[in-house]
This record gives sequence, structure tokens and C-alpha cells, in this order.
Amino acid sequence: MAGAPLASTSATLNRRAANGNPRVRALLIALTIGFLSIFILAPLVNVFAQAFAKGLDGYLAVFWPPSPPEGATLGVIQQRKLAEAAVQSERTWSAIRLTLAVAAVVVPLNIVFGLAAAWATTKFRFRGRALLVSLIDLPFSVSPVVAGLVFVLLLGRNGVFGDWATHLSWPDPFSLRWVGFDAGFPLDFERDFTGVIFTPLAIVMASIFVTFPFVARSLTPLMESQGTDEELAALSLGASGWRTFWKITAPNVKWALLYGVILCTARAFGEFGAVSVVSGHIDVNDTMPLRIEKLWNEYNNQAAFTVASVLTLLAVFTLVAKTAIEWKTARDHATAEGKQ
Amino acid sequence: MTIEIRNISKSYGGERILRDIDLKINSGELVALLGPSGSGKTTLLRVIAGIEQADEGSGPVLFDDVDVSNVDLGKRRIGFVFQHYALFKHMNVFENIAFGLRAKPRRERPSEAQIREKTQSLLDLIQLGNLSQRYPSQLSGGQRQRVALARALAVEPRVLLLDEPFGALDATVRRELRRWLRRLHDTIHVTTIFVTHDQEEALEVSDRVAVMNAGRIEQYAPPQEVYEKPASPFVFKFLGNYNLFHGRTRGDEPGEALVRPHDIAIARDPNAAGASARPGVVTHIGFGGAVVKIELETEDKTHVDVEVSAPTFRDLNLKRGDKVWFALRNAQEYVPDFVI
Repeated sequence: MAGAPLASTSATLNRRAANGNPRVRALLIALTIGFLSIFILAPLVNVFAQAFAKGLDGYLAVFWPPSPPEGATLGVIQQRKLAEAAVQSERTWSAIRLTLAVAAVVVPLNIVFGLAAAWATTKFRFRGRALLVSLIDLPFSVSPVVAGLVFVLLLGRNGVFGDWATHLSWPDPFSLRWVGFDAGFPLDFERDFTGVIFTPLAIVMASIFVTFPFVARSLTPLMESQGTDEELAALSLGASGWRTFWKITAPNVKWALLYGVILCTARAFGEFGAVSVVSGHIDVNDTMPLRIEKLWNEYNNQAAFTVASVLTLLAVFTLVAKTAIEWKTARDHATAEGKQ
Repeated sequence: MTIEIRNISKSYGGERILRDIDLKINSGELVALLGPSGSGKTTLLRVIAGIEQADEGSGPVLFDDVDVSNVDLGKRRIGFVFQHYALFKHMNVFENIAFGLRAKPRRERPSEAQIREKTQSLLDLIQLGNLSQRYPSQLSGGQRQRVALARALAVEPRVLLLDEPFGALDATVRRELRRWLRRLHDTIHVTTIFVTHDQEEALEVSDRVAVMNAGRIEQYAPPQEVYEKPASPFVFKFLGNYNLFHGRTRGDEPGEALVRPHDIAIARDPNAAGASARPGVVTHIGFGGAVVKIELETEDKTHVDVEVSAPTFRDLNLKRGDKVWFALRNAQEYVPDFVI
């Protein structure tokens, strides 16, 4: 009650201060809009303008190349063009599949790592806790290229621990096929990968490295402020640790967790530097950002921007989802505060 | 249920919070742990609850003569009420109270009808039957505290542990709620320990008070005894206002005497004040309703606080600068203790 008039007074003061000099206000707003237009909006528009440079057909042709008309006789050059387009689109699809697959592995792992790290650093007090907290932040301050190189140095042929990792054999999950009951187990992998570096496994590892802090960082402040009382209360009432987690902790952190997951997903989709180093520039190891670079280097601007536009759409979606969660959390917070 | 703890110590990072504590609580007793912040009272409560582990080499925590030192928090069958309630924010009042019943293992879990009945009876007990669908954020502080109590009582604990149960409430609600707690205890007779730094609260509500200081129990006795026969200068000083006189004891050792302001007689006539009356000058008069606070200055320039009842003050008809005689009615003499 007592706070209400005070709050409104300070709000009025703020408004007056903000409206104090109309010229300053106009200048600042113009500056912000100008900056955003030049550095954010113009490039964004350009991505779509370039992607649609050959119209909607050209846009779609990047993913679904035109097949030759039935019974038409084509010149050699045209035939080669069509074949080339088919190869290119298959590579694009391969990049999209790999990107999604990497994210599908990285994000769930990060949810587990992030929850564990946030839990450990906020709900327990132990020696070296501060060090652990800064270590979690390390990927933010290390250049992704360096991160990629670290993996090459660790797991490559001249690795610090020898070349054992280059002999490692692991099955390609995409090659899982139904082989019938003759061989015993009906499912089997048709292909194996050998080595870690320059395979999708290295891409997954590099992506985990660069995305690790997102989930942990979005959970830590919240878990820190919530403390352990609610969990202890649940435990004292006889609830198991498992039940306490699902009924008390999880509902309390779900929005922060989703926020972290969205940021983590966006980064996993968009990571270039670290992934580029460990991919070995092999076509089958291309993720979407790597694919965009290759198309660009092959002077296929329109296709490059078309793939880029897909990533951009994803970024826009991320932004909307992120804003929605922020808005919802702020509103929940306001209602909780207001009713206290 | 009786509770007995023997020789309990607890340190955090080299700092000793509890030093060899012994305490025995009879079945059905309501005991207050009273002390300034940092005296270890909350830590002691948490050790009894099983939230904290006592140091290696400590004695046992006995519930009904059974050692529970190695029994998990959830298995000790205690009801713990946290200072800031620790209600489950995302559950309404009903679900908060029912949580402990729903968390029981399947075999012991009551039926849904029984859970409803039990929860409803607890809601009636705390007089919040009409607010069962509200969320914690929609309740006042006092209501939240009562919900936290009902939640703890739902699992029929053998002992009720309350950490500063009224610490976060305003004065009026505090007084009301502690009387309510006393009545509740007289109805359900569950062994109860509560932590407080408020002397008035401890003295008014409890059967026995354990006054704590720097990790030790200074005195453990019924409220009247603690107040009238403080075992140490610390207890005397902590329980109320006092005057400190330096002098010599009857054994002619240097000592100090502590006197409550209301234990000083004051009169205009030296003979009426008492045998060893000394002169003083009134320097300040503070009206406090039923009690009037008078500040005197003696010849050797020491200040003496005196409290008299309003009728006595009217009869004395004192003004600032008046010369009066005062005598100590009930002084506690201590030889200063240099051994720590």
C-alpha cells in the first residue's frame, strides 16, 4: 500500500526526465532506428531479396530442382545443368538433415548438463564452486574456431593422447535398416564411421561446447534466487528426490529452461566457426551455415541466400518465442508481486 | 515424542556454529530456542530436522530414545515450517496441504476421498476453508504461515519444528498468530520446537526456553525462571533493558550488577526510597502509555534508566531537573567472566 504512491511518483519523475528535452529524445530515437536499419533491418531484407531474386520458382528450385519435361530431348549442357542442380539440392537437404540431427542430440544433452550444472552450483555449497561457475561460462569467451581446433588437437591424428580416436568406429545412426530376423536382431546399421574428427560426431561435440552455457546460464539466476527451501519442504514431507524434482523444481524452472533451450537451439543451428574446423570441409559434414558458405563460394548467390533465409526465419521464430517467454515471466512476476 | 540431543557440534568452513550442545525435550513440550542472530539456533533446529548433519564425532540425535542421526530428512517424520514459508508457488492452498499425503508410497497412501477429508479438516483448523483454491501469492503473510503449518501437520509429524515462524510478519499479526500457535499446541499436543530472536515471543508462548549464545545454550528453563533468575549476564542482557553498575561484590572482588529499569525504586524522600538510596537528577521523561521511562543522572555522571507505572508517575509528579532518590530493588551480581 505504502509503496504505491511512491512508485507512481517515481514513474512520473521518470517520464518527465525522459520527456525533458524533446530534441534529445528525437535524436536518440532516430539514432537507434538508423543504426538498427543499417545493421539489422537492411541485411535482413537483403537476405530475402536475394533469395527471391529468381522468383518463387527459383527459391523452391534450390530444394526441389526442376525435372526435365517428359519425352523432351535435351542438349548435353542442359542435361549437365539439371544433374548438377539435383546434386546441389541433395547436398542442401543433407545439410538440413545434419543440422536438425545435431540439434536433436545437442539440445537434450544440454538440458541434462545444464540442469545438473545449475543445480550443483546453486543448491550446494562446496569448494571450487566459483571456479566451476566461471568454467561453465568459458565457451562464451573462447572463440569458436579455437574450440574447434581444441577438438582437432585432442582427437585428430597428431592428437595429444595419440591417434586412438582416428581408429574409433561408430555406426551412422541414419543407416539403421530393417534386415529381417535371419541375423538375429532385426535392426542393423549399414554404415560405420571411422574416427571422430571430420565426422558428424565431431560436429556434435563442437556444438555441445559452444552451446553448453545457454541452459545452465538461464537457469542459474532463477535457481539461485529460489534457494532450496521448497525442495527441503517437499523432502521433509516424505517426497522422494525424484518426485521433488518433477513436482517442485521442474515447474518452478520450466520457463527459464525453455528460454535456455530456445537460445541453445538457435546457436546449435547457426554455429559456424567451431563446426567448420572439425567438419574438414567435407560435403557430407556440411551443416546449414557451412552449406551457405560453400554455395556462396561457388558463386551460387541466390541458393546461398535461400538457405540463409531458412536460418533467418528460424532466428525470427526464436526471437518471437524468446520475447513471448520474457513477457510471460515478467507478467507472472508482476502478478505475484502485486498480490503480496 | 521426546527429543534428546547429546554433544552436538557443527562447523562451517572452520567456524564453529554449535559447540557441544546437549538438550532434552519432553513429550508434548513447546520449547523455544531463543538467541541473537548467529547464535546457532537455526542450525540446531536444522540438525534436529536432519537438514544439516552434525560434525563428525558429535553425539546422537534421539527421537524417543532411538538414534535418528543417520535417518533421512523425509523418514524422520518431522514437520518443518520455514521462515519464509516455502509454500509451493504453483500449487493452490489445498494442493499444498495435500502434498505430503499424495507423496506417500502407494501402499501407505490414503484414498483420494481420505486425502480430501483430511485436507479439509486441516483447512478448518487453520480457519482458511474458504481460501482452498487460492495460490500462495494471493494470501497475506499470516495466512501463508498458517498454510505452511497445516501442510506440515498433514503428515502427522512426531515433532513440529518452526524456524522463526513469525519473523516476517508485522507486530499485530505476530501477536495474534503466536497465541493461535499456543492454543493449537494445547489442542494437538505435538512436541514442538521453535526458533525466535524475539524474547517476548519466547517467554509468552513456550513451556521452556533455551537461550543460546555463540553456539552454546546459556540457560534452559521455564520462561519465568529464565527471566527472574538469569543464569548469566548474557541472558540477563538479552531478555530486556538493563542498567549496569560496576562495583565490588561482598567478597570484595570487582564485579558488576545488572538491574532492570522497573526494579529501581524512586522517591522524592530519601527515607521512602529505601536503605541504600542514592541521589540523582531527572534528565529526561519519556511517556510510553502504561509505563513511563525516566532517565536519571547520578553525582558521578552515570545514567540510570528507571521505569515506573503511570499511576506511580502521577503520584511522584516529576519534572525535568527534579532531584530524586533511587534504590536498587533486585540486582543480579556477576563476577565478570574472563574465561571463554
